[in-house]
Amino acid sequence: MEIRAHMVSAGKAEGEAVVYKGPFSFLGDLDPANGKVPVPRHQLEGHVLANKVFVFITGKGSSGGDFAAWDAKKNGNAPSAMICLESEPVLSGAVIAAGIPTVDRPEKDVFELIHTGDYVKVDATSGIIEIAEK
Amino acid sequence: MLLSDEEKKMQAGEYGPGTKRAMDLLVKYGDSFDAKQFAPISYGHISYDFCPEDFWNLMTEGVTKTPHRVTTHPSYSPEVWRKWGLPLADNWADEHERKLKRFLELGWLRTETCAEYLLGIIPRKGDIVSMGGSCMQVANNSLFGARVDRMGILISLAAAVCGRTPLMGLLVPENRFASHMVELEDLDVSNWTIAHYHCLGYYIGDQVPGFKPVAVNGLPPDLAFDFARALVISMPTSGSVTLGHIVGTTPEAPTLEAALRGKKSEHIIRVGKREMRQTWERLNVWDDDAVEHVAFGCPHATIDEIGRIAALVEGKKLKASMLIGASAPVEALARRQGWADIIEKAGGHFEPVCPSITNPFTRPDIAGKNQAKSAATDSARSAHYLATVSHVKVFFGTEEECVKAAISGRWKGEAPRWK
Repeated sequence: MEIRAHMVSAGKAEGEAVVYKGPFSFLGDLDPANGKVPVPRHQLEGHVLANKVFVFITGKGSSGGDFAAWDAKKNGNAPSAMICLESEPVLSGAVIAAGIPTVDRPEKDVFELIHTGDYVKVDATSGIIEIAEK
Repeated sequence: MLLSDEEKKMQAGEYGPGTKRAMDLLVKYGDSFDAKQFAPISYGHISYDFCPEDFWNLMTEGVTKTPHRVTTHPSYSPEVWRKWGLPLADNWADEHERKLKRFLELGWLRTETCAEYLLGIIPRKGDIVSMGGSCMQVANNSLFGARVDRMGILISLAAAVCGRTPLMGLLVPENRFASHMVELEDLDVSNWTIAHYHCLGYYIGDQVPGFKPVAVNGLPPDLAFDFARALVISMPTSGSVTLGHIVGTTPEAPTLEAALRGKKSEHIIRVGKREMRQTWERLNVWDDDAVEHVAFGCPHATIDEIGRIAALVEGKKLKASMLIGASAPVEALARRQGWADIIEKAGGHFEPVCPSITNPFTRPDIAGKNQAKSAATDSARSAHYLATVSHVKVFFGTEEECVKAAISGRWKGEAPRWK
């Protein structure tokens, strides 16, 4: 199945989905040294986001989110692609500077259609999300 | 985006590879938000210490002096940390010194503070400023009516290099009206201190989704600057609020109607005793009462704050380490007053560092085996970052309670009796 979306950061990537119905900050919510979520009591605590297709709501938090994304990408610990409902300036700057293919404003309900563990391809440049058939 | 001739030259590499990369990044960034053009900045504010060195080098390669002013965020002082006996200080020195050298070559100003308005660097109403650091973004937007969009540290460097930023978001006057409104219910603020306003701001930031502008209604008019500042700078700590109007105090909110553009807000956040009590409790994360460190100056201290602390510690010897984050010019004034010497004699320290995110006494990667494992503060922003970045126990209370804790090494702070 295909879902059209709006390009935030160009590129193409694919991977297993991790779906989180909340906001995300690269600074604090992702450990750039191991690609995991380090936050105690977080729904995704200990989950690996590195090289996954991360589906979430929007960005949040510190304006340092972009340098944290840069470090995560440099260490090979950033998500391979990101899908969110609506991006915001710190998140967009982060994924564009770090070169993480990202789309927002999907035309269908990604929280209904994509589940953690699904295999998802993101062609951000063309604005197309593809969910592999099970 | 539609580029001017000058911007096309930047993109073509006529000003060197750093400017070209910065312009390419800004165009992609602006395009992603459907910005149509750039706006020139009055000045730019960056952080060289928070910027990864490889990115810093990519953006500044070939850049010569910029025609516009560029200032900088609180920075590191590894040489001072070494003198204070913090064993891992040397790990921070080389990269810091390389970037600082380049920073000065560019003719940029070593303001090293998150409160430049205390140095006389105050944007006028309507001035467009590009900056990283959510604390001064929200202060300049809200308290002075400058036009500052939410923006990350990397993008703010690109904007400073090019002297422009995409015309979008909070730079556009129509986007500056409050979509969310805070109503204070049954709260007597007559005996509130700076810490109480921090607590209120921290609650509000958590309640507003995204970086929607918010208007706070129901506070006394012409609120003291220190109170207004504490209120707005705490908002982007628990959330992303980048513009907080205070009705009757801030320049774009002489009345509630002006802040809301005459509309009725559909999103009303009500704050009463219960919300304040719960937030104050949430900011306190401790078990036993031993206080090893006290952090002041988030945002960087005013001269009045330093004067009050000096009066309380004069002739005393502190049991806990104390750091006052302050810009060099404010510290210099405190020294001329005799206050800096009084505080240092008692055992306190000054540094133009961020006492919250990069507090050298609580960061295990700076203090090593000498790390303070608990810290007291009167700033919600400090409380948040000391707990989440340094992972130490945190006591949140009033300025006076924090000074007393520094003297005795014990926390005797009490939750306020909300009236």
